[in-house]
This record gives sequence, C-alpha cells and structure tokens, in this order.
Amino acid sequence: MDVTLFSSPTPLRAGRADLSVMVQTTADRSSVQDAKVILHLKKSERGNVEEVMAPATHANATNKLLYAANVNLPSAGKWRIEIEVSSGGTSATASGELAVLPPQAPAATYWGYFALVPFVILLFVFNRWLKRRRWLKYPEAPP
Amino acid sequence: MQSSASAALLSWTIDVRGIALLVFVALIYVRGWVRIRRLLRNGSDFNRLYAFLGGLAVLFVATGSPLETFDSLFLSAHMAQHLLLMMVAPPLILRGDPVLPLLRGLPRRIVKEGLGPFLTWMPLRRIGRFITAPAFAWFAFAVSTVFWHLPKLYELALHSTYWHGVQHASFFWTGILFWWPIIQPGPRSREWPRWMPVPYLLFADILNTALSAFFVFSGHLLYPAYATVRANTLSAQDDQTLAGLIMWVPGSLIYLVPAFVLAMRIFAVPRGMESPVRVSRTRRTRRGSLRLILPRVRRVAQAVMLVIAIVVVADGFFGPQIAPLNLAGILPWIHWRALSILALLAVGNLFCMACPFMFVRDLGRKILPAKLRWPRQLRTKWVTTCLIALYLWAYEAFGLWNSPWLTAWIIAGYFLSAVLIDGLFRGATFCKYVCPIGQFHFVSSLISPREVAVKTPEVCRSCRTYDCIRGNERARGCELYLFQPKKSGNLDCTFCLDCVKACPHDNVSLISITPGKALIRDPYRSSIGRLSKRTDIVALALVIVFGAFVNAAGMVTPVMGWEHATPANIALFVIVGAIVCPALAVLLSAVLNKISSRGLSVRDFARRSALALVPVGVAMWAAHLLYHLATSASAALPAFQRAATGVITAMAMPSTPAWLTPAQILLLDAGLLLTLYIAWRVARQYTNGVRRAVALVAPWAAVSCVLYAAGIWILFQPMQMRGMLH
Repeated sequence: MDVTLFSSPTPLRAGRADLSVMVQTTADRSSVQDAKVILHLKKSERGNVEEVMAPATHANATNKLLYAANVNLPSAGKWRIEIEVSSGGTSATASGELAVLPPQAPAATYWGYFALVPFVILLFVFNRWLKRRRWLKYPEAPP
Repeated sequence: MQSSASAALLSWTIDVRGIALLVFVALIYVRGWVRIRRLLRNGSDFNRLYAFLGGLAVLFVATGSPLETFDSLFLSAHMAQHLLLMMVAPPLILRGDPVLPLLRGLPRRIVKEGLGPFLTWMPLRRIGRFITAPAFAWFAFAVSTVFWHLPKLYELALHSTYWHGVQHASFFWTGILFWWPIIQPGPRSREWPRWMPVPYLLFADILNTALSAFFVFSGHLLYPAYATVRANTLSAQDDQTLAGLIMWVPGSLIYLVPAFVLAMRIFAVPRGMESPVRVSRTRRTRRGSLRLILPRVRRVAQAVMLVIAIVVVADGFFGPQIAPLNLAGILPWIHWRALSILALLAVGNLFCMACPFMFVRDLGRKILPAKLRWPRQLRTKWVTTCLIALYLWAYEAFGLWNSPWLTAWIIAGYFLSAVLIDGLFRGATFCKYVCPIGQFHFVSSLISPREVAVKTPEVCRSCRTYDCIRGNERARGCELYLFQPKKSGNLDCTFCLDCVKACPHDNVSLISITPGKALIRDPYRSSIGRLSKRTDIVALALVIVFGAFVNAAGMVTPVMGWEHATPANIALFVIVGAIVCPALAVLLSAVLNKISSRGLSVRDFARRSALALVPVGVAMWAAHLLYHLATSASAALPAFQRAATGVITAMAMPSTPAWLTPAQILLLDAGLLLTLYIAWRVARQYTNGVRRAVALVAPWAAVSCVLYAAGIWILFQPMQMRGMLH
C-alpha cells in the first residue's frame, strides 16, 4: 500500500491541525476505501514526552477519498508521526517527521477581521468629507 | 464501503462563510428585484432573476463542489473550476443586471447616506468607466489568465490557501470586467461600435486557444506538484492534456458562440428603439395576508413553545440531574438563548411573539379578576433591572446552566408569576414591568431590522376609532399601551400583532427599518416618553450591555478560577462588572462631556449616549451564545433520545468549527461600528461643529472600544463548553 499524508494549515502550527491520509494500492494506485487508519504523534524533548493519538476517518475528511483526523498539537517542535493502516487482512506502517511551528498570535491570524473596524471608520470619514464637499459646492441641494 | 467515484462525488467543501455571503447577496438581489418589479411593469423579468441566481449557484459549485476538493490533486478539476469562475459565473451574474436590484435591495438609508456620496463622486465614476472600458477589461482579463498560469505563480497558489483565494478572486473579478462591455448591465449602457464585441471575443479566444494548446502539446509537466500524488491511473501528463482540452473546447465555445450570435445580429437586425418602459406609481396593495397569517403563525408557535417548556420542566424535575443528559440542561441554555438573540438580530423580537407564557397568562385572566392597577411606583424598569442583575449573580453562584432542577424551578416560577400577575393586574403588566426575558428582548430589539409600525401615517390621522390600542371584535388592542401612530422603535413591543389584526385600515404591519434607527432619534414614544428622560431604561440597558461581558467572562478560565474561589468573589464580580463599571463609565463620560461642552444638557445627552452602547452589548451576547450553539448544538440529540427512550448511547462530542471565531469577531465589529455610528449621530444632534461633536463622542467611543477589546480578549480565552460533563 502507498500512504500519503497531507497536512493543513501550511505551514503546520501548534494548535488545531487537519491531518489527512491517502491510502492507495501499489499495483494500480487505486484508492483504498475500507482501511482503518490510526495516527500516532509523538514529541520527545529534554525528557518531556508528548503524545497524540487519533483515528483518521472518512467522516472527518472533506475529500472522501482520504482519511482525516483533526488533532490538537500542544506544542511546536519536531513531531514524529506514525500512520498505521490496516485493510483486508494486510497492514502497513508509514512514519515521518512533522515540523510544527509555534502558534500564530490571534492578531496575526485574524488581522483582516480586526482591520475591518478602522477601515469602515475611514470610509465613514471619507463619506462625511464627500457630503460636506458637496454641500459647500451646492448649498441649495437637498441633504 | 463506498466506491471511489461516489466518495469523490460526496466530497463537498462546506464553507459556511462563503455560503452565508452568497445567500446574503441572493437575498438582497431578490428583495431589490421584487421592489423594481412592483414599480416598473415589465421592468424586471424572470430571466434576469434566474440568470443572477444561476451565476451565484455556479460560484457555489466552483468553490464548494468536488472541483474545489480535488483541485490540488487534478489540474483538470482545477481548470474546470477556473472556467466556471471566469467564463460562466460572471456573464450569468451580469445578465441579471445586478446594479439596480442590489441597490434597491439594500435599506434606502444605507444607499442614500452610506453609498450615495461614493456613487456620485466623479473620480470614482471615472475609475469605474475606465476599468469597464473594453480595452482595459480585455487587457486585465488577459493578464490575469496568463499571469496565474505561469508555473511559479500557479505553484504558489497551490501551496498557499491565501494565494489560492487571491487567484480565484482575480479570475472572477477580471471575468466580471471582461464580460461587462459585452453584456453592458446597469442603468447606463456604453456606446461603442456594434461590431467591436466580435473581435473582442475572438481575440480572447485566440489567447485561450494558445494557452490551452500549450497545455496539450508542451510535452512536459508544467506544474510538478500534480506529479507528487496520483489518485488513480490517470498520469499527471494525461491530466494536463485533459485540462488543456477543457480549456480549449468548452472555453472556446463560450467565446465563439456569443461572437457568432452578435455577428448575426449585426447583419440581420437593424438597430431599433427599445420598447418604452411603463412606469407605474401605483403600488400593488397588499392582500392583507400578513394580517391574517401572522397571528395564526404566532398562536401555533406559542403552542409549540409551551409544549417544549412543559417537557423541559418535567425533565428538569424528574429526569436525571446531569445537565448534558437532561433537556432542561440543554435546550434553554444552549439552543433557546442563542436562537432567540440571533432571531432578534435577523428579524425582531420573535421570542416574545412565540412566548410560551402567553397561554397561561390568558388562563390566569379567566380564573382571576385581572382588575387591579399595577402600583404607580413600580411602573418603571427598575424592578426588571434588579431582576436581571440578580439573574447574572444566580447564574454564576448556582451554576444554573448545570442544574436541570433549578432550571425547571425557574421556568415553573415564571409560569406561576405570569398567572398571578396578569391574573390580578390589568393589561400585560407581567410583560411590561416584570419579565426580565422580555426586557432583555425589548432592549436588544432596538437594533432589530424589523418593527411593527404604521404603513401610512396619513391613514392614522383620519382614524377616529383607535382600534390598535382600544381593540375591537377582531382582536384586543395593545396590552402594553403602545399607540401605533406614536410608537417608535421596538421598546415594549412583544410582536404580539394584536394591533396588526385590530387595525380596520390594514395600516399596521411588520416593516423593515435601519437597525439602530430607534436609538438615533428621540421622539416622544407612546407609553414610554422620551428615552433621554428615562434613567430606568438606561440603567436596564447598561446592566444588559455590561452583563454580556460579565456573563461571558465568567466562563473563561482566567476569570473562573478567581471568581469561584469564594462566594463573595462571585457577588463582587457581578456587582463590579454589571453595576459599578457602567455607573463609573457613564459618570466619567458625562463629566468629560460637561468639561468639553459647556451649556450642554449633560444628563439627557449621557442617557442617549449610554443607550448607544446597546449594539456592542448585544453583539457580545450574540458572540457568546453563538459559541455555545455552534459547539454544542448536537448535545440535544442524546438528551432527546434519553428523554424519549430512557436509553443513553454515545454523548455528543462538542467541537469548535473553523468559522466560529471569525463570525464572533464580525459580530463584535458590527456591534462596535453601530455603537460608534449611533453615538456620533446623537452627538451631532447636540452640536453643529464637527470638532465639538468629536469631543462629545470621544469618551463614549472610548468606553465602547474598551468593551470591544474586553470582548475580543474573552473570545480568545478557553471557554467552558456546554452539553458535556464538567
């Protein structure tokens, strides 16, 4: 079996992460739809071990060809991931490393939503300026 | 097990924000289309409506269907998606002639006051004319098409959600520009040679053909990202060829068919006069359906709510005392609170309209005399202000949301109070002077977009029967003593619609208003007086506004630890947060106003400016309660299952959807902006100079910004969830 891992967001950061797995047959690369997929994530740093385990399912995936798990990565650093796949009596394990960056500050993540307020205020000020300008130009015009 | 094909077809991307935006635009368009259709006979045909809605549907398919899901795996899927964004959705949307319907669909005040100065600003009009001119539109479209297909930029979009969004936006908007000169929507069509669209489209097709031929015949893989993962036997090179063919054949047809039709028209039909549009000023009279239907709907809704309330009370008393498994621990605290405030923001005071206590109040009147008059000293909002403050304390002190038994007692106590008070006293005394839920809804509905109001004031001037307040054989008059011609805003209005039913001239209806309008003006209001003279209403509003932040802060980890350390801390927290803080904020602002503007009636101004804080407070309630609804709505299922069958299966697993935080921030943004706008408009009524108005509004703006910042801080803290064991 071929196993491919997709991660979101890009780059991966501490906090909520969407890990999706595609399982394909090696022979014809057709996707395997009845596999059982379990993700094990582990991070060891200075004797401190953090572990996350999550089953990946079609239900969690937007792309129903994939198996997905929404996991919460508690900290940044290098995480070791092991993907256990079993289907039709055969099983396989794929492993690798994930580089997880520190979480982004809320202000950086949602800056567009915060910027909306000053943007609308600026538009309002501009609106008033235009109205005043028009009124100075045409004092007889209706407000 | 499902096949790969069916799994692929089920792979829809549900982006709540995108869907909400599309639905919002569709609603505005339909509203405007209906208005134009009423005004202009034959002025707005169904083809335009279908075309516009079809264009939005294509946008949804492009961004939400499996095409979106598979665009990172298959170039062909991505190409089909781009085709829809550039060549199908834009012409359909423009065929819907969207400018006038969208403007007519928005509230008139927003168009006139908000958009008007921009739309009539000459530099902006010149820019609009320039970018919709054929030369610029064609060039922008061509640049966008070629630019984004360069391998480096395409790969950038593939690997970044942000740049992917920018790519799609530029495809769609340059598509709009490209098709604008061809379809020429809007009230003024540009004059350009009739033959021009033909070469315009043909040159675009040449560009499209060249690009697609490059995809088909290049012989090497243009975008290596597609070679990394193959989901089936289709090789990346074959996928690229297929993408090129999609771009080539359907893409060319989209250019060539209109070019051919336009060419045929040039040769076949001489340019004629368009048939004149008949303008009719006579508005079609409404058939009185609202008057007949709404009261019935209201009665059914009340019956449904009554049944739910009885079930909740029974489960609260006799069911298991575990909140996530008991209907009394779920429905009132997760669903009802959130849905009623969202209904307030979307429509109006629908909870009071469907109030389950209405039946028992009517029953009380039949059993008891209902002749007494409510004491004059209590005919204010002070009683309910105290009750709301008491509720805020009890909620924290007793963990009401976590106790089905106490919840059941509160609802049962409500029923008993409604029966006794309305059974002994005249009118809707309970609603007007006692019910804290009703007062919460009255204050919140000051920013609702709908109001029960007269349609034509002239009709009321000639009325001598005053059925709207006195009642008649059809319906009782207003029990809250609101005389429709003098009524302004939703304060004290329970949306009972008795006045709608009673009016013999069919002149009272549920009409659209600009949210917050009731706070900008200060007319004499029937049964209320002027808001600038009502300290009790201001106090009630302030407790509700600051209570929103107290209630939400009481559920976040940093506050909870301190608050629940001792019982005294809870009382201190609520008193300081909901009573002392607003009092200090108002006092300080009023003192600063007094200093900055001598001769000002500070008390009146402070009362009105304090009421301007209502939007930011209601926004906080909505953001907070939306959190519980979004994370724990599914908790109702196991509780219902347990109540119906007695069997407990799997508990619901609360989860936080990705759209929630942006939606909460947007709610707070909207609340703050509306607060600032109302405060500004109020200040302008007290002074002519802009600088003096800024000085007046500054302290209140500072208070609202502090509340906004507090709200944002609370939203980013870990919040206690509902519908799970604690």
